[in-house]
Amino acid sequence: MAREQRDRSSYRRYFPPKRKYCRFCERNIKEIDYKNVDILRRYVPERGKIAPRRVTGTCSFHQRKLSTAIKRARLLALLPYVED
Amino acid sequence: MRHYETAFLITPKLNEEETEKLIQKMADIVAKKKGKMIKIDKWGKKKLAYPVEKQNEAFYVFFHYEGEPDIPSELERRFRQTESVLRYLTLRKEVQAVAKKKRRVKRKKAEEISEEKEDKERFKEDETFVGSDASEEEK
Repeated sequence: MAREQRDRSSYRRYFPPKRKYCRFCERNIKEIDYKNVDILRRYVPERGKIAPRRVTGTCSFHQRKLSTAIKRARLLALLPYVED
Repeated sequence: MRHYETAFLITPKLNEEETEKLIQKMADIVAKKKGKMIKIDKWGKKKLAYPVEKQNEAFYVFFHYEGEPDIPSELERRFRQTESVLRYLTLRKEVQAVAKKKRRVKRKKAEEISEEKEDKERFKEDETFVGSDASEEEK
């Protein structure tokens, strides 16, 4: 139980539980480029896992784009598959 | 004519001259197959997020070009044969996006108007149920 709490808070540190909104919709972005590592980095905190939608507030359209972009970046060793 | 983007990583074992030569060789394939090279992007040596074939660094190169589908397949065949290429990735870029854009813009406008309304409604809800967000997630 305590473990679960901590896990959630680790994601929360990157995305504080304010009002959630899609940061891509806000900027009217249609394509997410896998080369843009700085942006992708924000969505793979600590362990290198893709942050879930319920935490980040990304809309489903952009979450799909985001996850393919992250996976492509991983293939080219721009992002880690696992990190500890 | 299609727009492609090919990225590949070259091992750091090659010296600068050999790396240039390899890039030139690959660029020549595009030219030979009557493709139009739009841009060659060289990021240079970059640290990898994880070791690939026991290398911690690699030379990143990106090709942007236009042409027939036989170009990427030929390039990839070469990459597989070349040992000094660690990884490669080819993507097809949407050219029709421009044509679709107009339609999307129209739809977007309609969406924005409805979204604004929704947002206002949601905002009211948020004010009345403070902390309802957290309890919902608990379930």
